[in-house]
Amino acid sequence: MTGARRRGIVTQCDPELTVLTITNLDLSYPGHETLATVSWQVNRGDQVALLGRSGTGKSTLLSAIIQDSLAVTKDSERIAYLSQQPALLPWATAIENVLLGFKLRGDTQSPEATEQALNLLYQVELGTYAHRQVSLLSGGQKARIALARVLLEQSDLVLLDEPFAGLDRSTRIQIAALCQKLFASKTVILVTHDPRDAQDWLDTAMVLTTESIKGPYRLNDFASDRALIQALDGDL
Amino acid sequence: MNRLLFATFPLLLLVALWWLAVIALEVPHFILPSPERVARVLVERLPLISGHAFTTASEIVSGLMLGTLLGFAVACLIGDSKKLTQITMPALVISQALPVFAIAPILMLWLGYGFASKLAMTTLIVFFPVTASTLAGFRAMPRSWELTFQTLRPKRWQLFWFVRLPLAIPYALSGVRVAASVAPIGAVVGEWVGSSSGLGYLMLHANGRGQTDLMFAALIVLCVEALLIWSLVNRLTNRFDQNSHFAD
Repeated sequence: MTGARRRGIVTQCDPELTVLTITNLDLSYPGHETLATVSWQVNRGDQVALLGRSGTGKSTLLSAIIQDSLAVTKDSERIAYLSQQPALLPWATAIENVLLGFKLRGDTQSPEATEQALNLLYQVELGTYAHRQVSLLSGGQKARIALARVLLEQSDLVLLDEPFAGLDRSTRIQIAALCQKLFASKTVILVTHDPRDAQDWLDTAMVLTTESIKGPYRLNDFASDRALIQALDGDL
Repeated sequence: MNRLLFATFPLLLLVALWWLAVIALEVPHFILPSPERVARVLVERLPLISGHAFTTASEIVSGLMLGTLLGFAVACLIGDSKKLTQITMPALVISQALPVFAIAPILMLWLGYGFASKLAMTTLIVFFPVTASTLAGFRAMPRSWELTFQTLRPKRWQLFWFVRLPLAIPYALSGVRVAASVAPIGAVVGEWVGSSSGLGYLMLHANGRGQTDLMFAALIVLCVEALLIWSLVNRLTNRFDQNSHFAD
């Protein structure tokens, strides 16, 4: 076997540790045949990249997790989701977007929450932009505001759906470093088709093919293009 | 100045061609009056024409306002629910697919020959573009945004008020701009079918008496009126778009 080699990365199947269990989830697009049938267990604190070719259903899998599909059991209701297009209101300021969850839940926005939001903006190096309208900010800055919101929401499970797509390489590296620092204690699933986005930050990967989900693998195993192609084709 | 010249050049060219055609082809004035003749009628009969123009303008503006209000309200009521939109869409499409000419006699019968029937017709013609555009705005939210907001555990009303509605506003304003350009159709058709005032009525009246020059004068005033109303709506909606920072 050339290229990547499947390693014995064992995930403990302790119910106490499990934060997410997916059992025989059929991934499909409306009006199309079923793609993969997925069974997967994610433990608290796991940080894993989910690789796969375009159209294999990576985003559909995240959507099923968020939308409480019957095949999905979650230990926590506190889930954060961050996508390629950060859901930021362009007419609102950076801090208003960070605090948006409070507004949408109709919760009272305490001065402590506002202070915490501001601190988080400083952590993502945008403290001085707190009161700037989001439409005036760059793509990288928007991604960082979305990160600050994810942190404020104190979610246990963080789902990242190609959040680096559309950013230049240096911004990707910066954001990945921030993710590594800020999500250190969280359970993370990072969907991407480019392992380079994950290699700076994560160690483990699962691969979603049109038939099933495979892994875990070590991300370093995909250093060569050939190994990556083999993995994405499900030939590993 | 240059911009004004640029904008009016096609119009000036049209008038020049019209004048040339009248002279070169020796068309009788009751078929095609010369621009000079129309201009003279416009000046001489200005009090009469302006009275009728005022009636038409008030019908257009009132219908535009009422149609916008109703269209926006209906879109807000049904836009949050896919099922409600599916149920009501056929009725909305029919309201647009039926020509106002077909409905006009019925509206005359129900609402009389006065202002109300013209208001109803203009409202009807304005209603659909505003509703359809606003509904498109409610559906424009990307899937990834829907998922993100779902993870924030929002209350339905809060999500509507703080996110969905502001996102739909630019679409609604675009619908109002389209509606402003078609609103005069409702008013004028209403006047043709039955009225005692308005530019549509004046044109029919002049046509019956062979006063083609007066017909043309009324038509020109109608064009200017429609253009002014559309420009005003355009300016207002653009300003609202910018002031509200709704445009990304």
